[in-house]
Amino acid sequence: MDIENLIKDTFTDHEHHAPDSDQVLAATRQRLERRRARVSPPLAAGAGVVLLALAVGAVVELNRPAHDNQVATGTSQAGGPAVVEAPAKAATELTMPYSLGWLPPGKADYLARRINIGGSAANPDKPVYGGEYMLTVTSGSQVLLVDVQEMRSMPIQQAAFKSGPGQPVTIGGRAGVESAHSGGPGGYELYLTHPDGGSLYVNVAAQPGSTASAQQLIDAGRRVAENVAFPGTTTVTPAFGLGKLPDGLRMCAFDVEMGGPSAPRTSYSLGTCSTLPPVQVQSEESSQVRGTAGQPVQGHETRYLDENGYRTLWILKAVHDAPIAVAGRSAQSELYAIADHLVLPH
Amino acid sequence: MADYEDFVRAHLPRLLRYATMLTGEREQAADLVQDVLVKVYRRWSRVSDAEHPDRYVLRMVTNDYLSWRRSRSARLIAVADPPDQARPDDFASDHAARDDMWQRLARLPRRQRAVVVLRYYEQLADADIAGLLGCAQATVRAHARRALTTLRHGLSIDQMIQVKES
Repeated sequence: MDIENLIKDTFTDHEHHAPDSDQVLAATRQRLERRRARVSPPLAAGAGVVLLALAVGAVVELNRPAHDNQVATGTSQAGGPAVVEAPAKAATELTMPYSLGWLPPGKADYLARRINIGGSAANPDKPVYGGEYMLTVTSGSQVLLVDVQEMRSMPIQQAAFKSGPGQPVTIGGRAGVESAHSGGPGGYELYLTHPDGGSLYVNVAAQPGSTASAQQLIDAGRRVAENVAFPGTTTVTPAFGLGKLPDGLRMCAFDVEMGGPSAPRTSYSLGTCSTLPPVQVQSEESSQVRGTAGQPVQGHETRYLDENGYRTLWILKAVHDAPIAVAGRSAQSELYAIADHLVLPH
Repeated sequence: MADYEDFVRAHLPRLLRYATMLTGEREQAADLVQDVLVKVYRRWSRVSDAEHPDRYVLRMVTNDYLSWRRSRSARLIAVADPPDQARPDDFASDHAARDDMWQRLARLPRRQRAVVVLRYYEQLADADIAGLLGCAQATVRAHARRALTTLRHGLSIDQMIQVKES
């Protein structure tokens, strides 16, 4: 046997390490159910559930400081931007590592996330935080999907495209590689040199059922990229905040979604950030609550569930009528310690 | 979305095995595939319109792995450094040799590991790997060559002989 056969055998030998399909499918279904309940699906964008609107030519500024009690608009032009009701009590705003200076005209739902991606190639022991915006921009019957993501560990030389090899481009004085076939299923893709190393990925595509020419996607994608500003001043307002955390824990990632019929969805991952974060804190659907009655948290009833060491503490009606789940393979006392310090809307 | 469900049911086991080979870790693999399936759902029309939806989703898994998740999984796996000069006794069984190789694979840079998984686990031709990764075939060959060099490094002559003879 040569080394290539040894490699093949090694893979085969570890196939049984693969996760159980049924469990993964069930977990995926749960996430999709939550998403269906809370986020306006792109195809249902016309159903009046869009919470965030961006005026034509607007400068995107997700969750502007809340002095005006509004979320995220920009300079108003035709029609004026829609207004989002901010949470009754704003938790600490979360800063994105970069800002989007321009988006295609239209109304936008978004998911903004900041994630710890571990070390960079140059400094593997120092955590790097990356940001991602996923937006659905609706203008009339046209729906564009816009993804902008930092890939700090991936230089543009390693760019991978959905539609085949890319071609070099310079945008805003920065070198990049863009897709050569933007009319394909992947839409327009661009990897632009990131000022702090790695790349910034921009993807603009038409939602199936919607139409956009390849040139329109290219123009929009390039303009989005050209107007990204580092470092970011954009903040997003979570539905609830974190307070003092137990020793050894810190925030490794957050997700803030705006665009659903109910309260904005927020989640945090807590841990050391050098391994898989062990504790998840997220707003949930009431239908997800299980377990038996636990100790009250900040005046809210709770439910507690221990599933073979994976423990979940539900804080009922924590974000408006929705519960928050604090879950992980941590001690019960640690889950309560986190819950006791959460910043909940009044 | 019944066709989405059907697609997922049909391809999920393979995707999970593939993700496990990429990440080297069960929970990371589940997390990676879940993330991708949510994205697939969101863009199902686009995915289903693709010429080869399964290949399209395989590419999504690969891309997600190559971005932020890869770093975390690598850090998880690389906790125990494989010995530079393992004792011959460690290789008395094929099992030990494969465990050692698993450790070595975990230390590969992610793109090299992806190439190795696609070539030796998924059994894809270099041209297909190049198409999936969006790079030239020469780049695929270069990644594979570097990966094999790295994987061979540290195997003593005795171990290599043992591997060859088994």
